[in-house]
Amino acid sequence: MTPAAASELLPATRNALSLLLLSLADDEFVIGFSDSEWTGIAPMLEEDVALSSLAQDELGHAQAFYRLLADIVADGRDADGIAYDRPPEGYYHARLLDHPRGDWASTIVRRYLYETADAVRLEALASSSWTPLAELVGKIRREERYHLMHVGAWFERLASTPGEPRARLLDALKRMGPDAGTVLAELPTELALEMAGIATSGSADLEARWRAGLAPVFTRLDLPPLPATADPAHARTAHSDAFRRLHADFTAVRQIDAGATW
Amino acid sequence: MPRAVAKPSQAAAAGLEPWEVFRQEKEGDAMRHGGSVLAPDAELAVHYARELYGRRQESVRLWVVRRADVHDLDDQDLLQPPLDRSFKKPGGYVMRDKLAAARERSGQAKPRARTGGEPTAPEGTDS
Repeated sequence: MTPAAASELLPATRNALSLLLLSLADDEFVIGFSDSEWTGIAPMLEEDVALSSLAQDELGHAQAFYRLLADIVADGRDADGIAYDRPPEGYYHARLLDHPRGDWASTIVRRYLYETADAVRLEALASSSWTPLAELVGKIRREERYHLMHVGAWFERLASTPGEPRARLLDALKRMGPDAGTVLAELPTELALEMAGIATSGSADLEARWRAGLAPVFTRLDLPPLPATADPAHARTAHSDAFRRLHADFTAVRQIDAGATW
Repeated sequence: MPRAVAKPSQAAAAGLEPWEVFRQEKEGDAMRHGGSVLAPDAELAVHYARELYGRRQESVRLWVVRRADVHDLDDQDLLQPPLDRSFKKPGGYVMRDKLAAARERSGQAKPRARTGGEPTAPEGTDS
């Protein structure tokens, strides 16, 4: 049994756990910020409120993961410090989230691919041996259920509406398909995480589970199957120009006034 | 027709189904749920709604909706999620200190309250 207090973890375990938490937090943070770009310009007022609220949920999840991470790193930085005070290349989110918000179909495809993969990842982490993570993931999964319902409704709708909706969805799938699997790509510290029981499934298992879940949906909607993950060894590094622009946006206030509070 | 049909099974056997009635007390008010009636179709449902929820001139408008057309949501994961949601509430953004600091920087005085006298606290700060 892994001790609950971060200070009691073995150094190697602590490092591995830090990287896992950073990947979870940065994923939620980046998709949350990127989706929030729809605030004010979503296709309908109701959808504007809905997507903005979902984006806020993701930022809330990111904050909770950053807090756990801050406890483990214990270098004096708080959650905001970790979230905002890094150069773009210091972020560790999956390459799928490097794709810009794009049009509505791109946002839906990005969310759909991300949320389905995230659900598989969180399901496995819900039985993590590190109880602070297992408990947090238990709460987050209850919110993510709705996220899946919301994005699933849009994905099915766009895919089964001929003409522009389906064409735009197919185009987005073509662009993002090769990066979809990056959410579940192996972390360099996977072995240490599995040995400590912090991760209960290997990334290959998770990815297989995720693909098996998506396959019948793609078949039913007559969508081309998802390609294999491109360059999985660099799934979370070497970020895009689109992310650099997003980073410049979300760090703007912090750079003007480092002590600003919300 | 029986005077009162108590059980849904009896109502269904009698060809009746429940209709939900919403009423507006005066023009401009929100429609509020008033109750329900059993009726075999929309026409009679509206008549019964008029008798049960409007005969004393207590309503200026009624909406009558087949209960089967109401989409029910009582999933607590969707409505009462377990994480802290205080950041979803505008009250989380306390503006008073920020405004005071901004005024100080710009050298502007606080605008006088319209009623004169002591400045009053912003609405909601002591409730």
